[in-house]
Amino acid sequence: MIDCREAVRRMWAYLDHELADKPISEFEAHLETCQRCCGELDFNRHLREVVAAKSPALPVPPEVRSRLEILLAGGQNQLENPT
Amino acid sequence: MTIVLETRATPSARLIPTAAAAPERPPFADVVREHLDGLYGFCVRLANHATDAEDLVQETLIRAMRAYDGLRDPARAKGWLFAIATNVWRDQSRARRREVTTVPIDTPDGDDDTFSLFQTIAMEDPFPYSDELHLDFLRLFRDEDVSAVFALITPAFRLPLILTVVHGFSCKEAAAILEIPLGTLLSRLHRGRKQLERGLWDYAVANGLVTTAEGVQS
Repeated sequence: MIDCREAVRRMWAYLDHELADKPISEFEAHLETCQRCCGELDFNRHLREVVAAKSPALPVPPEVRSRLEILLAGGQNQLENPT
Repeated sequence: MTIVLETRATPSARLIPTAAAAPERPPFADVVREHLDGLYGFCVRLANHATDAEDLVQETLIRAMRAYDGLRDPARAKGWLFAIATNVWRDQSRARRREVTTVPIDTPDGDDDTFSLFQTIAMEDPFPYSDELHLDFLRLFRDEDVSAVFALITPAFRLPLILTVVHGFSCKEAAAILEIPLGTLLSRLHRGRKQLERGLWDYAVANGLVTTAEGVQS
């Protein structure tokens, strides 16, 4: 049986589906007897969702996009017509 | 004998019927346009600065353009572009003599490694009348607050977080992008999350988002 410290150490890997079968079984067995770790697991799930939601996409600003398009067009020409 | 030589000379033409040949390669510019916003966002978070991010994207595209013929599967272009961007960023950081990592990455972070945001919120109880203490804490943060906290995480630990949490790569994909073993990726991810937890709490206290037991107000 793993203790709370070990359960917390495995928690994020569990959420990422990166734990192997045995560590998963041990972790889930711990959760069945530990309300505190259940609460922390739930919190970590929310924490990850909130961080992702509050890290929105950063679209390329129009003026930067224009410069990059020139680069792409130039590079394309260079690849097609090497000098 | 002749057949063997011909097969060696042009294996794809000899062994694969024309109709089943690999689909035509999409133009480089089209592949890039599909991922340009994601790549730009990644570069902004890598560089922590819009001007540096634009330089980073430009250099990434120049290197990618030269290497495009080596990309076996254009469907994996996103990870491939992110990997090139990471290498460019490392090179630029070295050239500018900036420290890519601010703490030794093979030693524990001390308090950060055992810090638990969940426990700290429960102990400090910053919202005594809340039924959703932990969720209320997370609701305090605006987008720019989360960005500010992210920016303070040690880069070597921040990168795995950005790739997995923000850009949705699996841990295996993130390890491939960063060119590190999966075990190393998981270890850095753990430490990045611990710095994130500590950073969110410290930011909330420093910016008066919570009142602590010590009476630090807000």
